[in-house]
Amino acid sequence: MSDLTGIMVVTMIIWIGLFAYVYRLDRKVSHLED
Amino acid sequence: MGRVGGLFKWLLLVWMVVVIWAAFMWVPSAQGFKGESSRIVFFHVPTAWVATLAFLVSCVTSVMYLRRREPKDDIHAAVSAGLGMLFAVLATVTGAIFAKIMWGAYWNWDPRQTSITILLLIYAAYFALRSAVPDPEKRATLSAVYSILAFVTVPFLMFVVPRIYWSLHPDVLTNPDPNNRLDSAHIRVLMASLAGFTYLYAWLYTIGSRIEMIRFRRRQEVL
Repeated sequence: MSDLTGIMVVTMIIWIGLFAYVYRLDRKVSHLED
Repeated sequence: MGRVGGLFKWLLLVWMVVVIWAAFMWVPSAQGFKGESSRIVFFHVPTAWVATLAFLVSCVTSVMYLRRREPKDDIHAAVSAGLGMLFAVLATVTGAIFAKIMWGAYWNWDPRQTSITILLLIYAAYFALRSAVPDPEKRATLSAVYSILAFVTVPFLMFVVPRIYWSLHPDVLTNPDPNNRLDSAHIRVLMASLAGFTYLYAWLYTIGSRIEMIRFRRRQEVL
C-alpha cells in the first residue's frame, strides 16, 4: 500500500467515525425532543 | 429526523467518501506544489470557507436577537460561533501541515497564519464574555453586539490583510500564473468538497441549536 492510499484510508476512517458519531447524536437529540 | 432529511445525511456520507477517494486517487498532484501537498487544499479551503460562513451566521443571528429579543437567536449565534471556532482550528491545522511540506516549518508567521490566529483570539474572547456574564438577557445582548463587531474583522483578516502583505500562501483559484493554479478536475473535487462541508456545517448547526434549545427549556422549567 502506498503512502497516499494509507492517508486516504485514515481520512476515510476519520470521516466515517465522525459521521457515525454525529448521526447517533442526531438520533439521541430527536429522542430527547419527543 | 424526517425521511428526506435522513436520506440527505446518508447521501452526505457517500458524497464525502467519493470526495475523499477523488482527492487522493482520481486527481493528479497539482503543478507548482511539493509532493502531494496540493491534496490538502480539498480539505483546507472548505474548512476555512465554513468557518467564515459560521461567523457570518453568528453575526446575522446576533442582529436578529437585537431586533427581536428571542432567546433562540442568541442560541443560534453562540452555536454558530462555536462551529466557526472548530472549523477555523481545522483550517489552521491543515494549513500548518501544508506549510510543513511546502515551506519546511509548521508555523512561519505568514500573514494568513497570523490573521487566523487573531481571528481565533477574537472569537475566544466571545466565549469568555459569554461565560463571564451570569444574567441571560444581559449576556445575550452583550454577546450579540460583540459578535457583530467581531464579524467586521472577518473579511479584513481573511481576505484583505493576506493580500496587502507579501505572503507565501498560494492563491490557487485566481492566481494569474497557470503553473500555480488548480485545473478543472481539481476545481470539481474542491467544489464537491465545499458542498459536502457546507452541508456538514448545516447539520451540526441544527443539532447544536436543538441541544441548546432543550437545555434552555429545562432551565426555564426549573425556574
